[in-house]
Amino acid sequence: MTEPKQQGQCRTCVHFRNDAKYLETVFSGLTSLSSGYGSVRADDGICLRHGRYLSARASCPQFAAHGTTPLQDETRADSTA
Amino acid sequence: MSNIEQTLDHGHVAAPPLRWRELWLKEDWWAIWLGLGIVVVAYAFFANGSSIKWLAVTPARWTTFSQLTAHFAGNYDRYLAQFIVWLAVFSVALTALGHKAREFIPSFIVLYVLSVIIFTIGQWDKAVIYNLEPPLVALAVGLVLSNLVGLPRWLDAGFRVEFYVKTGIVLLGATLPFTLIIWAGPVAILQASIVSIVTFLVIYWVGLKLGLDKRLAATLGAGGAVCGVSAAIAISGAVGGKKEDAPIAITVVIIWAIAMIFVLPFVAQYLHLPAGVGGAWIGTSEFADAAGFAAAQTYGNIAAGGAVPGTSDQAVIAYTLIKVVGRDVWIGIWAFVLAIIATTRWERTETGGKPDAGEIWWRFPKFVIGFLIASLIITLVVTNYSLADYNKSVVPALVAPIKDLRAWAFTFCFLSIGLTTRFRDLAGAGKKPFAAFSAGAIVNVILGFILSAIVFAAHWENLGH
Repeated sequence: MTEPKQQGQCRTCVHFRNDAKYLETVFSGLTSLSSGYGSVRADDGICLRHGRYLSARASCPQFAAHGTTPLQDETRADSTA
Repeated sequence: MSNIEQTLDHGHVAAPPLRWRELWLKEDWWAIWLGLGIVVVAYAFFANGSSIKWLAVTPARWTTFSQLTAHFAGNYDRYLAQFIVWLAVFSVALTALGHKAREFIPSFIVLYVLSVIIFTIGQWDKAVIYNLEPPLVALAVGLVLSNLVGLPRWLDAGFRVEFYVKTGIVLLGATLPFTLIIWAGPVAILQASIVSIVTFLVIYWVGLKLGLDKRLAATLGAGGAVCGVSAAIAISGAVGGKKEDAPIAITVVIIWAIAMIFVLPFVAQYLHLPAGVGGAWIGTSEFADAAGFAAAQTYGNIAAGGAVPGTSDQAVIAYTLIKVVGRDVWIGIWAFVLAIIATTRWERTETGGKPDAGEIWWRFPKFVIGFLIASLIITLVVTNYSLADYNKSVVPALVAPIKDLRAWAFTFCFLSIGLTTRFRDLAGAGKKPFAAFSAGAIVNVILGFILSAIVFAAHWENLGH
């Protein structure tokens, strides 16, 4: 495993999704006893590249700023999960 | 096309850090604005010799159907006005959060009509005999509608469990003397901390013994130890869990929390626990704020009916102190500590970041600030009143209407729990995560009982005296 280099944070990465509405759709049952809009979630989101739920301040060697990587592969991968 | 694809097809843009935008992009802050707004308006009316009690109408106690129809015939304009005010303030808040008003409005109409029915059932003089406690009836009706009848999913726009419970908690602060929080808070924090740490360690340890990943075990542990689903997703994000971890935790928390709503109040009643003791036990043993309020309010109603010693307020206040002050506020510290452990002690993942102490504030459940400010405002307002004057003028004109509006907010919440819980939609949790969580839940219930009903029994029994 390689140490994450100093690159952009997940929040600006094309692989990262942290929209509250999106998370409420993906995490079934989230709205029953919680919410995507609460403070405790901060601005965490899902990394479609690594399949992890991460802080928006995280980073990794596969960081790709918006406009540099197409979304199609992740769209397909996520919808078939 | 799946929901996920639709979401992605709408286009994704990088979101800048929230910073000050959190003030209007997080529901915690909107709960504060709404709750404190109501408190300030209520005080403004009170200070000018008036009251908002006309607007804070609730169904009256009734015995015969004719009494009921007479009440609604004489007060329909008040209900209409109240509905319009709730609709307006919630619409503003939810629109700012990104929801669509055209979806929220019809949804809230359904929610309000159902709430009036639930409230009315609860005011029937024979409701106690048949155990028709409004929180339980609301939950049961919601579960039946969402699981057996089936409701269009877009209606969920108005079933905002967390938003309603947070608004209710801020309003609850206005009915709670700040001195009581100062007096009872330290014991609540001590008791809650003991139970939280033990529960977390049991779930985590059993989880590891069963072969679960450390991050999943920690996510489940936080769900059982701190504040249910909210804690689980906070910790999952802090430690960088797999995206499947949070849905697993959500499923087990929901199943346990809903079961506990129906079990805890009646076991406490069977054991004849005083209202404050029962509330404290529920506060240590329930997992999510909304579910716990349903159980605590139910036990308060049981106490009000005379089945156990104490008052309705004692059950709700003891619950709030343990759950909100004793457990919820520490989620940021849990997240920060576990983030340090995850990055320094656990197997590394390709993704990561340096733990930041700012986590403690970023994840702080901000609605608690509103709860404390509301308490402080009302405490300062009533400082110069004698007890007799307080009971004679302040309670009916200022405190009681706020309490009635709080009851509405909680009813919206209890109904929304049932209306949004679709068991068939929940992710499969698996036997091992369920077993690990259950082990912690059982220890939690037993330890919580020992601390509430034995070690600190006198403290909780005399709460508010």
